[in-house]
Amino acid sequence: MPRRALSHVLLVLLPVVAALAILPFVYSNHLLLFNFIVFLTLAQGVNVLYGFTGYLPFGYVGFFGAGAYGFSLAVMHLHLAPLPALATGALAALLLALLLTPLLRLSGAYFAIANLAASQAVYQVVSNPSLTPVTRGPYGISLSGVFNPVLSYSVALLVLAGTLALVISLRNSRFGLSLHAIREDAVSAALAGIDVVQSRIVAWLLSALVAGLVGGAFAWRISVFYPDTVFSLEFSIFAIVFTLFGGAATAVGPLLGVGILYGIYNAIGISTPQYFQLIYGALIVGLVLFLPNGLVSVLRLGGIDVP
Amino acid sequence: MHKRLLGIVLLILMTLGGSRVMLPPAGAAGAPGEITLGTLYASSGPFASISMPVYYGLRLWIDQKNAEGGVFVKPFHKKIPLKLIAYDDQSSTATAATLYNQLITQDKVDILIADSGSVLTSVAVPIARDHKMLLIDQTGTGAAFFTKDNPYIVLIADPVSSIWPRYAAEFLAKDGVALGIRRVAMVYATNDFTGTQASAFRKFIKESGAPLQFVYDEGVPTNTSSYTVIINNIRAANPDAVIELGYAGNDISFLRNLQDSGVKFKWLFAIYPGLETELLKKAVGTKALDYVYTYVPSSVISYRTNFGMSLAQFRAAWYEKYAHSNVEFGFNSVAGYTTGLVLERALAVTQSLDQLALRKAIFSLSGKLRTLDGLFQLDPTGAQIGEITPLGQIVPASAGGIRFVIVYPHSVATGKPVYPAP
Amino acid sequence: MLAYALLAGLLFGLYFTLVGLGLNLVFGVLRIVNLAHGDILMLGAFTAYWLFTTFRVPPLLSAALALPLFAGAGVPFYYLVVPRLLRSRDPEMLSLIFFFGLSQIIEALAAIVFGTSERSIPGSALARGPVALLHQTFPAAWVTSAALSGLAVLGVYLYLYRTRLGYLTRAVMVHWEESVASGIDAHRVSAIAFGAGLALAGIAGVLAPFMLGSVTPAMGVDTTITAFAVIVMGSLGSPLGTVLGGILYGVSLMVMQTYFSSWANLLPYLLLIGILLLRPSGLLGRQIRRA
Repeated sequence: MPRRALSHVLLVLLPVVAALAILPFVYSNHLLLFNFIVFLTLAQGVNVLYGFTGYLPFGYVGFFGAGAYGFSLAVMHLHLAPLPALATGALAALLLALLLTPLLRLSGAYFAIANLAASQAVYQVVSNPSLTPVTRGPYGISLSGVFNPVLSYSVALLVLAGTLALVISLRNSRFGLSLHAIREDAVSAALAGIDVVQSRIVAWLLSALVAGLVGGAFAWRISVFYPDTVFSLEFSIFAIVFTLFGGAATAVGPLLGVGILYGIYNAIGISTPQYFQLIYGALIVGLVLFLPNGLVSVLRLGGIDVP
Repeated sequence: MHKRLLGIVLLILMTLGGSRVMLPPAGAAGAPGEITLGTLYASSGPFASISMPVYYGLRLWIDQKNAEGGVFVKPFHKKIPLKLIAYDDQSSTATAATLYNQLITQDKVDILIADSGSVLTSVAVPIARDHKMLLIDQTGTGAAFFTKDNPYIVLIADPVSSIWPRYAAEFLAKDGVALGIRRVAMVYATNDFTGTQASAFRKFIKESGAPLQFVYDEGVPTNTSSYTVIINNIRAANPDAVIELGYAGNDISFLRNLQDSGVKFKWLFAIYPGLETELLKKAVGTKALDYVYTYVPSSVISYRTNFGMSLAQFRAAWYEKYAHSNVEFGFNSVAGYTTGLVLERALAVTQSLDQLALRKAIFSLSGKLRTLDGLFQLDPTGAQIGEITPLGQIVPASAGGIRFVIVYPHSVATGKPVYPAP
Repeated sequence: MLAYALLAGLLFGLYFTLVGLGLNLVFGVLRIVNLAHGDILMLGAFTAYWLFTTFRVPPLLSAALALPLFAGAGVPFYYLVVPRLLRSRDPEMLSLIFFFGLSQIIEALAAIVFGTSERSIPGSALARGPVALLHQTFPAAWVTSAALSGLAVLGVYLYLYRTRLGYLTRAVMVHWEESVASGIDAHRVSAIAFGAGLALAGIAGVLAPFMLGSVTPAMGVDTTITAFAVIVMGSLGSPLGTVLGGILYGVSLMVMQTYFSSWANLLPYLLLIGILLLRPSGLLGRQIRRA
């Protein structure tokens, strides 16, 4: 492994994963820690797509929900054990991504809105009462027999580790560089011999896979949920905002963004909730006006090479 | 001399021995300084209008008890003050889940009380079960919460969704048929709360064997706010009775659209004209509510109580405390207060503060406790099968106001239904 | 039943034309994604509600007031914020996030001031009694708002195609840099378009309680999404396109409500995706947005 990648792994991946593995022993609100893992993973998933290819997935939660429902359907109808069911969830997200590949022809805000419409469409289909025999429609999923907070936490942590490894490798590999090139100027990249369409599709599928895996883990952990819980716009928006706040296209940026913003979200939520939405909105506005390239841009100004 | 010394020694020994007997039992030395109650509320988002009244009702009970020095807790033979820890989940289930966990694992509350409504209660069900804490479910009526293998949940203030429509359906099957009703139309919002009630309506009507036919039976998404075309389609099916099931926003939109369209139905049922009368009066006006049938909630009926304040007393206390706030008085405020009353009775009879002992204490109240919310009665899985609301009709009263007429069951009826609606 | 659904769809769709019109102007001219559009609309609705319940101000008057009020707020806001956004590396995406934050702020303030319950205004405030059109009866408020919407479309059309300012606006819509190079004060033109866009949102908001039945502070996000669907289905920068998009949306929604009511909310999303994939420049085809 090239030296730079190794240093990134040591600086970023190991401390984060180790911290999240140890924290449950000292801090007892495990569900909060689990949610941190979920958002860290989702932010990195958005990072793979937005940071490297420039597509903003406003409907990212569609893959998350597909993973959650894939997991749940596998448990309910196929009676699979949790791990194969998780694989099924990931498969569901990948299939959805394949189905939506034509959206990659669009750009900018068009893609963002179409992606959002796609995730809403999936939600409408899943939560429709006509599909109750399959997806339990609007009455929600209630999985029995697979509830296992410890194992689902560990698996989620593994998914996060894998995602971080993916981002670090993108950061340090030729493929990641070619994605950057496509993002900056697709025509020149094509002239340089990069297969633009294929590269984009690979990034798209990887991003969907990440969301599908963590969606399945989420379903496993909470085991009782209504459709709008796993298709909530909140997941997409938070993941995007956290990534942008920290700084896209780096491995560290989304981690910073989640750590700071999601941390503030929970702290405020517990102490001064009534002005919560106001504070959060103001934070986002301030972010865009004063730190449009994210927190890591401050570090970069100081000449630091951010992982 | 020796006898006197012996006598004094004996006296001292007896006094000491006697005082040992007179000392309170050792357990009281471990009595907690306060009983912590943990709950959530939604100050914003779609569930705020049903959550805030419940929260305020609960707080009213807590403040009242604390003014009296606390609640009597049987294991410690004394009154202990209450402490409330409440977080805002902003109608988000993900936030609610972490906050419930916070209450249990970090704040280590003695009693866990759910937020209002099935959606915000649903996430608490597995969490409470996992941590072996009894979930005091205030108004979450989702039938799936109550299973034989989960003892860690009790429903306090609302009847479970699968039986709530019972009196309304029975009216249609018996009195309605006698009045000439044959064709029934039903439109319901597709979510757990109203979807389950729609199924219950269908089930009760089918089982009754009455000659009623569903000429329109459609689900609409919960965020539907334009009912004009649906109203027209229902009208085209020519029903005698129309049942509209939705949350407050659906009812408001439906009634407004109905009023604006000029269509009149002979018999119309909706949920929230009863459950949140003040809100609906403000939102659609009293004219739109005239002759509508609805659940007559405990915020309107003065039930005979054997514990706690009566409706009149509670209403007075509410307006005294909350007149300046913009949280409406209604059924949900009664629900929050009822939760407090049940906890008060349970703490007064429980063997210990252990969660399953609390459950046993609450179950012991079933069939016996009568509060301003009605008769408290639980089935073995913890679902509330008492407190069923009678069917009533809203009729115009003097000076442009409205009043409720209970039409079914006959044992509590205060008048006859007006059919068809003029 | 079908005839009713089609007519209702037409009327309802014209309302959504109005909803999308402001967004079309802003997006078309600035390429700025105004995610706070629905929340501006919500402010318009609550302004009308407050004026009606406090001072008995008729909604049409509120709509007339909304024009200078929102435009007057919009123009200075533009100068404060937009030039900065446009200078950044990825203005489209950044404006997406910025206006989202703004929408959260607006929603929070509205909830603090007005509370979160549903509010509505009686239809009689706008127009009396149901109206008969082609043997079907419709709420009078629908007909009034459709008429108002038509007026607004006409106004925007005349502005864009018959005034000099509109001519400059269309130039900026086509290519920002080139219009600046031609000596057009692009920022001034855009600021006016932005203000006009907000004013249109405000007017649509005044009509919202009648068309939608009730309004709450949380209605902004869904309304914005629908507005996007409408303008994308039509095409950018063309008021006529927005008319088409609005009608298509309205008719499809009403027809779905009649025949497949529980799927009613699915169709607009499918339409949006379908049109974007098959005719990305919208039904009236103008700008090509190919990646």
